[in-house]
Amino acid sequence: MSLLPTPRRTRATDRADAERLPPRAGEVIDRRRTVGFRWNGTPYTGHPGDTIVSALAAAGERVFSRSYKYHRPRGLLTASYLDPGCVVQVGDEPNVRGAHRLLAEGMDVRSQNTWPSLRFDVRAVNGLASRFLATGFYYKTFIKPEVLWPAYEKVLRTFVHAGEVPPDSAPGVYDKRYAHPDVVVAGGGPAGMAAAVAAARSGATVMLVEEEHQLGGHLRWGGPAELARLAELRAQVAAEPAIEVLTDAVVGARFDDNGIPIVARGVPGIDERLVKARAGVLVVAPGLVERPYVFAGNDLPGVVLSTAVRRLVNLHAVRPGRRAVVLSANPEGDAAVGDLESAGVEVAEVVDARRGESVRAAHGRSGLRVVELGDGRRVEADLLVTAVGWTAPTSLLNQSGDRPVYEPRAARFVPDPTRMPENVLAAGGIVGDGDVDALVEHADAVGREAARRAGRSASAAVAVPALPVADHPELFSAGTGGFVDFSEDVSAKDITTAAAEGYDSVELVKRYTTATMGPAQGKLETVNTVAVLAAATGRTIAETGTTTWRPMWAPVTLGALAGRSHEPVRYSPMQPWHERHGAVPLIAGQWIRPEHYGDPAGEVTAVRTGVGIIDVTPLGKLDLRGPDVASLLDLLYVNRWSTLGVGKVRYGVMCAEDGVVMDDGVTGRLGEDHYLMSTTSSGAATVWEWVENWLQTAHPEWRVHVTPVTTAYASTNIAGPRSRELLGRLTDVDLDPERFGYMQVRTGRVAGVDGCVLWRIGFTGELSYEVHVPAGYGLHVWEQLMAAGADLGVRPFGVEAQRVLRLEKGHAIVGQDTDGLTQGFSAGLDGLIKLDKDDFVGLPELRWQRERDTAPRLVGLRPLDGMVVPPEASQILDRAGGIAGRVTSSRMSPTLGRSIGLAQLDRELAEVGTRVTIRLPDGRDVTAEVTSPVHVDPEGARLRV
Amino acid sequence: MMLLPCPWCGPRTATEFRFVGEARPRPDPATATPEQWRHYLYVHANPCGWSTETWYHRAGCRRYLSVERHTLTHEIRAVRDAATGTTAEAAP
Amino acid sequence: MSEQTAVARSPIAPAAPTVRHGWEVDATVTVGPLTLSDETPLAKVSVRAPFDGAARRALGVRYGRTGRVDLGGEGVLIAGAGPGEWLVLGAPGTGAALVASLEELLAGTGEFTSVLDLTHGRALVRLEGAAAPRVLAGVCAIDLADAVTPDGTALRTSVAAVVTDVVRDDRAGVRSYLLHGERSSGQYLADSLLEAGAGAGLEVTGFRGLG
Repeated sequence: MSLLPTPRRTRATDRADAERLPPRAGEVIDRRRTVGFRWNGTPYTGHPGDTIVSALAAAGERVFSRSYKYHRPRGLLTASYLDPGCVVQVGDEPNVRGAHRLLAEGMDVRSQNTWPSLRFDVRAVNGLASRFLATGFYYKTFIKPEVLWPAYEKVLRTFVHAGEVPPDSAPGVYDKRYAHPDVVVAGGGPAGMAAAVAAARSGATVMLVEEEHQLGGHLRWGGPAELARLAELRAQVAAEPAIEVLTDAVVGARFDDNGIPIVARGVPGIDERLVKARAGVLVVAPGLVERPYVFAGNDLPGVVLSTAVRRLVNLHAVRPGRRAVVLSANPEGDAAVGDLESAGVEVAEVVDARRGESVRAAHGRSGLRVVELGDGRRVEADLLVTAVGWTAPTSLLNQSGDRPVYEPRAARFVPDPTRMPENVLAAGGIVGDGDVDALVEHADAVGREAARRAGRSASAAVAVPALPVADHPELFSAGTGGFVDFSEDVSAKDITTAAAEGYDSVELVKRYTTATMGPAQGKLETVNTVAVLAAATGRTIAETGTTTWRPMWAPVTLGALAGRSHEPVRYSPMQPWHERHGAVPLIAGQWIRPEHYGDPAGEVTAVRTGVGIIDVTPLGKLDLRGPDVASLLDLLYVNRWSTLGVGKVRYGVMCAEDGVVMDDGVTGRLGEDHYLMSTTSSGAATVWEWVENWLQTAHPEWRVHVTPVTTAYASTNIAGPRSRELLGRLTDVDLDPERFGYMQVRTGRVAGVDGCVLWRIGFTGELSYEVHVPAGYGLHVWEQLMAAGADLGVRPFGVEAQRVLRLEKGHAIVGQDTDGLTQGFSAGLDGLIKLDKDDFVGLPELRWQRERDTAPRLVGLRPLDGMVVPPEASQILDRAGGIAGRVTSSRMSPTLGRSIGLAQLDRELAEVGTRVTIRLPDGRDVTAEVTSPVHVDPEGARLRV
Repeated sequence: MMLLPCPWCGPRTATEFRFVGEARPRPDPATATPEQWRHYLYVHANPCGWSTETWYHRAGCRRYLSVERHTLTHEIRAVRDAATGTTAEAAP
Repeated sequence: MSEQTAVARSPIAPAAPTVRHGWEVDATVTVGPLTLSDETPLAKVSVRAPFDGAARRALGVRYGRTGRVDLGGEGVLIAGAGPGEWLVLGAPGTGAALVASLEELLAGTGEFTSVLDLTHGRALVRLEGAAAPRVLAGVCAIDLADAVTPDGTALRTSVAAVVTDVVRDDRAGVRSYLLHGERSSGQYLADSLLEAGAGAGLEVTGFRGLG
């Protein structure tokens, strides 16, 4: 006859609080109120202060998930944030730590990746047919044939234990803020609290960060003495206004110079907040993490850690089982025995590892039924509590440059203080052992030293008392199998198999088996992995070493990292008008520009036959002043500038030192020592930095002041045969072509606005004026132009029409008709590049390119069938079928009524009149003829009217 | 996330700066051989240790800085304005 | 030649537009403890000169600090915005006069200097209130503690990923920051601040001026 009670199936409401104990001294639940929630669709209740899993455990539930690979039932293990068996879906939020997340009214909690149900998961068959999921299965299974990869992916996806994000899930609110505390204390246990208080009392501002929902660490589940101490420390923290306490928050990492990301939950109105702290000193005080024991059946629901029992009983007043076996190697295990007895749990057997007693295996199917002891006895129990030792979670120390060393006497890794940087200190259990007084005394000294190192007290270095480690038996594995990594379903056998296959370094084993790579990030698994590997390879743990502890300390949501989005958007002053007039927006870098106003071809025709205006405000503009500007221009542009007279503008191209075309634009000379340079819209920032680079690092003796004025001017290009007529109605500048000729600049008044710069240039190939007006008046001038030109049929045109107009004229666009390898002579700049200048940036490479004369050329292209518009980036084939070039620009020309293009083409095929084959993306070939790049008005007569 | 001690602005996070590259002298374009010129363009010493680099404080003083940085530890032992040679001590 | 009186506009759209000093400004008036105002109509003049010479002495302000002086009869705020770079703020419409006064002031130095009216090229907002540092800490990595950045501090850094001059200019003992940046991202900057300040009760108020 079984000694265990038969589980009853009853209605959920009956089962709420079925395993709830009478009030406990340290409990964190509010029994006066209840919270209703659903678990896999069934209504349950708990109390405020309950975690999801403590409420379910109080109702008698024991299974919370199915494991990753084998779909084994899993229950409580640690009853903390790390608990691998308690990851659940809450509403549309996946991967919630069920043993950490506080219950809230109306929560819809579901188990993840169980089908058809948590109780009857068909994939549990994997446990029987595990050959498919052998050690290193990623590497063995999914190699060949490649055609099956998509199928593998589908199969794998169904096994992955992650939850689901519904496509219609509401976006969360993720905040970000910067902070500059003198001291960040990672961990709010007794040591962390004491260190924070001491640092604050020494004058430091402190951020005290605790992963759990309350400060206190292990004091919270202790006896009356610990609870009294807890109250005292909490009062001390509360009394220090310089301490900012963040609970339900984790220090994610420690980066260079104490850049410390902290992810905080539980801020009202916000899902998560990423605090980017820059701390003077980091005090690492995370305490110790209890380590699971490796033995056959160690993942059965009912096999738990001693700290889990202590939390459940003392914090949540939950009876964790009915009949228990306790494997204890330390005082925490002994205390768990006391907790169980006080909770009315029958303690069937205490197995004391310190006397050489042991546990061999746990048996059961969906939960623990029998514990097999080392002496062969079999004890019926529904609870097996293990207390076999501690892992020092040293991540933050490792990230600080420390290399913790294994201390066999204490069976754990301890920091090597000689390798810690000045601005990082450690306190509490991660350093050593002791009673609360010893921990607090040590942490108090650490806190004072932290304040001193942060520059907050002028005292001499604080003498930090020693905190030695206590002896603890080395107890990792019973040698009977069992799981090493519960999250990733990695067994001890997987580790030994990996070692036998030659993966005998711990870093290789980690990658081959994926041990330590799950959500607990090694804090439960690393040391056991190392211990099992050490045993398999006949080495010591110290010789085997550990894997690298990388950021982050805990998994971080993408929302927290993305946070509030900081993506600058730039608008021209005329944007409100564009929006009112149906402009289709084009995102060009940070700029939002009109692509067209509904009819790009009509816009082209308006410019060719009448007049159009385009907002070109994003054009980069640099104000250059000083006596050495001409020297600067001569150095940066491939053409000559010292000959440019006042009142003239000139087109220039800049190359980099490798001769590759970088940017282009016109620059005008407004006065003796005053120039206005324009750049491409996308190159504005780059060119400014480039100019400053040459001025500051190569020619600091030159007297030149550079000021970016891109948006100081709103820029409008007025283009078309009637542009002079239109502009003449609004300006006092003399537009007579005899006095204001092509490639000249004037300043004056436009539409009542003084201080405008007008240059007569012709990117579109038509008579045109680019008018730069003080930006605050940009909208005014634009509206005046539209009104004044109504009888002329003035039309606004967008970027698309401009692209067509310039293509008809064969003007290359840097970055479209050139790429990162296009040197000057491949960009149609033969007439511009002045190789006889003494120096300019990129000169040697261009000289050599000219001498080789083998480079591709920029050519015009016309498909023989003028109705075919080859997509840009279509390849051009040589006679042997090889790639000879590509189409860089391609459009239907409204002016010519046929398709035209520009192309980068091999030297041999670049002669005008050559027929080439263009291969379209759909595989068809079309024939095109190489032409001059200039398709419309090759003489430029329309510009010079 | 490391801090770079700008001589003008004080310590600022590295994201405010653009890493320009190792400081390398420009050969005379009139006499440079292709080998010399391409060494200047493409061949970096990339030492494991102290390196003299140029950084641009694009989100701060907008000055080009000469920085002596240890590439392994990120320790920075000297920063000066590339044009004026100004150090933090000399900055007003 | 036809003309209509030109009205200058800020890049930041006003909630209740009205025209003042030739600029379209926001007529909204808020008396809340935490406000954001568009100060773009202020004249903004850039001065360039050697960072530590006669020009600096003439201006009386070094890099990183601010000063309020009288310039040609106008009260102006001078901020040491960069090494050898000053930002001079004055009343709306005084840009040209400020350029003239500054050029006259600097003419005697014998140094290579330039003075440029950037009124139309920049956006300028004022964030004011005791909670202003809390708002800024959402978008700016600079330590805003009194000990690090006291009243009268001028610095340039990234604010919501836009390079911005941050000038601490407390008024009547109340924390106040002028944020000055490139014009076309002005609306974005204002929106970013309003979003960062939503939890703290940040409200928009109309143009206030230098006072």
